[in-house]
Amino acid sequence: MRNYDLITPEGTKDLLFGECIIRRDIEKTLLDIFKSRGYSEMITPGLEFFDVFNLNSSYFPQENLYKLTDSKGRLLVMRPDSTMPIARVIATRLRDAMLPLKLCYNQTVYRTEPALKGRSDEIVQAGVELIGSQLKIADLEVISTAVEALKAFGMEFSLEIGNIGIFKELVSKLEISDNVKEKIRQNIEAKNFPALNDLLDTLGTNPVTTALKKLPALFGGMEVFDKAEELMPDENIKRLLDELRDVYIDANEICGGDGAITVDLGLVNKTDYYTGLVIKGYLQGHGEEVISGGRYDKLISEFGYDVPAVGFAINVNGVAKVIEKNGVFPALPRTDVLVYAEEGCEVAALKAAQELREQGFIVESALFDDLESARAYAMDKKIAKVVVIDESDEEEQE
Amino acid sequence: MNKPIRIALTKGRLEKDTVGLLEKLGFDCTAVREKGRKLILPVPDGNLEVVLAKANDVITYVEHGVCDLGVVGKDTIMEMEGKFYELVDLGFGRCKFALATKKGYDFYSGYGIKTIATKYPNVARRFFEKKGMDTEIIKIEGSVELAPLLELADGIVDIVETGTTLKENGLEVIEDVAPISARLIANTVSLKLRHAEIDGLIKLIEENL
Repeated sequence: MRNYDLITPEGTKDLLFGECIIRRDIEKTLLDIFKSRGYSEMITPGLEFFDVFNLNSSYFPQENLYKLTDSKGRLLVMRPDSTMPIARVIATRLRDAMLPLKLCYNQTVYRTEPALKGRSDEIVQAGVELIGSQLKIADLEVISTAVEALKAFGMEFSLEIGNIGIFKELVSKLEISDNVKEKIRQNIEAKNFPALNDLLDTLGTNPVTTALKKLPALFGGMEVFDKAEELMPDENIKRLLDELRDVYIDANEICGGDGAITVDLGLVNKTDYYTGLVIKGYLQGHGEEVISGGRYDKLISEFGYDVPAVGFAINVNGVAKVIEKNGVFPALPRTDVLVYAEEGCEVAALKAAQELREQGFIVESALFDDLESARAYAMDKKIAKVVVIDESDEEEQE
Repeated sequence: MNKPIRIALTKGRLEKDTVGLLEKLGFDCTAVREKGRKLILPVPDGNLEVVLAKANDVITYVEHGVCDLGVVGKDTIMEMEGKFYELVDLGFGRCKFALATKKGYDFYSGYGIKTIATKYPNVARRFFEKKGMDTEIIKIEGSVELAPLLELADGIVDIVETGTTLKENGLEVIEDVAPISARLIANTVSLKLRHAEIDGLIKLIEENL
C-alpha cells in the first residue's frame, strides 16, 4: 500500500509565515469591520448532518460534499456552507430571539472540487447574516458592509448587484417544466446567448421570452435600467426593477466613487437560495468573485421558521491570493531581543525575558548552550539585541 | 494605457480561423502569423494579446482569469464544462458529435450492456444517461475508429466532420449527439471589470461573422 504520510490531500495546503499572517490579517480586518457594525460572531460545527444540506430545494449537489458517518451510522458532511447551518440555528435556538439579529462568522467550508484544476477544497469564508428585516435599509446595510470590506484591502474593486426575483418572476409566467426552467437558468448564468436564443425560440415569441433573451446582456451601469425597463412585461416585475434601481443609486452614493458599483440582471446562480437582491464582489487581478451573497427570505422557513434574511460571504482564500500575487506581503513581526542564559542562569533569564516582554518588546529565549550559536541565530533572524544573563549581571550586544 | 486584453486561441485550425476573423476586423496579426515558437503574441493596434494553447488549456486559462477571452470548440466545452461565459457562436469549426458503429450493426438490440469507445467520456456518459441506458465507456486517446474494428467496443462517440474516415473503415453514423462549432468564451470577472473593451470587441466580431 502506498504511504501518504508526507503530503496533504489535494485541494488543501499548509500555510506558513507570511501566508499565515496574510490570512489572519484578512480575517481580523473583516471581523473587526463586522463587529464595529454590531454583528455578533458565531461558530457552527465543522460536521453537520447531511439532512441540513438536503432540504426540499437541495442547493448542494451530494457529489460535491465530503461525507462520513457518525458512530450510529448516520450520514454526516463537512460543512459546505455557513449560511444553512446558521439558518438551522436561527430556526431552533434563536427562534425566540428579538429581531433583527445580526450575526457574523469566519470559518472553513469544504467542497470537493475537480482534481488538477488548482482549486481549494477547503475555503475560509468570513461573512454576515442579517435576519428578520425585509426593509430596503437592511439591503443597504449589507451592501455598505460589503463595500467597507472590499475597500479595506486597498485594491481596485467592484461590487455588482442584481435581483434574482426578476428572473424567477419571468420564468414563472411560462408554462414549462422545471427541467426547461433549469436549462434557461443555466444558459443565462453562462451568458450562453446562442443556446439561450435557440431554446427560447422553441417557446414562441412573446414579451416574456424576449425579456429572458436579453437578461444576460443586461449588465453594466445606470444605462442597464433604461434598457431593461421597456422589456419588463408587467407592473410587478417593473416594481422589482425600480427597487433595484433605487438600491443601485444608493449603493453608488455609499461607495462614494472609490470602487465601481455595477448591475447584472443575469446573476442567477444555481447554489443560490436567494430570492431577491444578489451581490457579487470582485477584486482586480482575481479571476473569480471574492464576495457572494444576497437576500434569502425563504431559506430559514425550510427549517420551520418563516423569517427573511440577507447576507454575504467573503472568500478569504481568494483575497489572500490577490494580496500575495500583488506582492503586498506584510512584514513578519520581528523579535526585538534574544535572551541567552549562561549555564545555571536559566530561571533568571526566563524572568528577565518576561520583564522585557512586559515593557512591550518581542522577546525570545535562546535555546543554545553556547553564546556563539545564539549570536549566529540572532544574526540569521535579524534580531537586533542579544542579552546575556550570567551570574554577575547582564551584558548587551548588537 | 490599460494592460492588453488577453485572448487564448486553440492551436491549429481554430487558431487560423480566428486570426482570419481578427484580420477581417482590421487588426494587424503579423506577429501571430510569424510566430515561430513564441506562445504569447501581441496584436499591437487592438491592445490585444494572443495566447496559443491546447483546447483544454484554453478553458483552464480563462476559468482562472489569466486569459480574459478564449476561442475553443463546443466539443471541448461539453467535455470539460466549467465556470465561464459562453458568449458568441463564431460559426467556424463546424462539425458534430455522433454515435457510430460498424456498418449494419444493430446497436440498440439485445440486453447486453454496450461498450462505447471515445475520447470524450463525459459527453458519451451524458448522452447515454439521458437515454437511461447503462453503458461501459472506455477512454481511447488516438484513432477511436479502431476500437469497434478490433471488437473492443460496440460503438464510438466521436467528432464527425465529413465522415470519410468512418466510411473508409467500414463504420457509419447511426445517431447525431450534438452540433459543434467554435465559441468565444470569457472569464466571468474580466467581462465585468473590462466590460467596455470586451463589449466593443464582441460587437465588432458579431458584425463581421
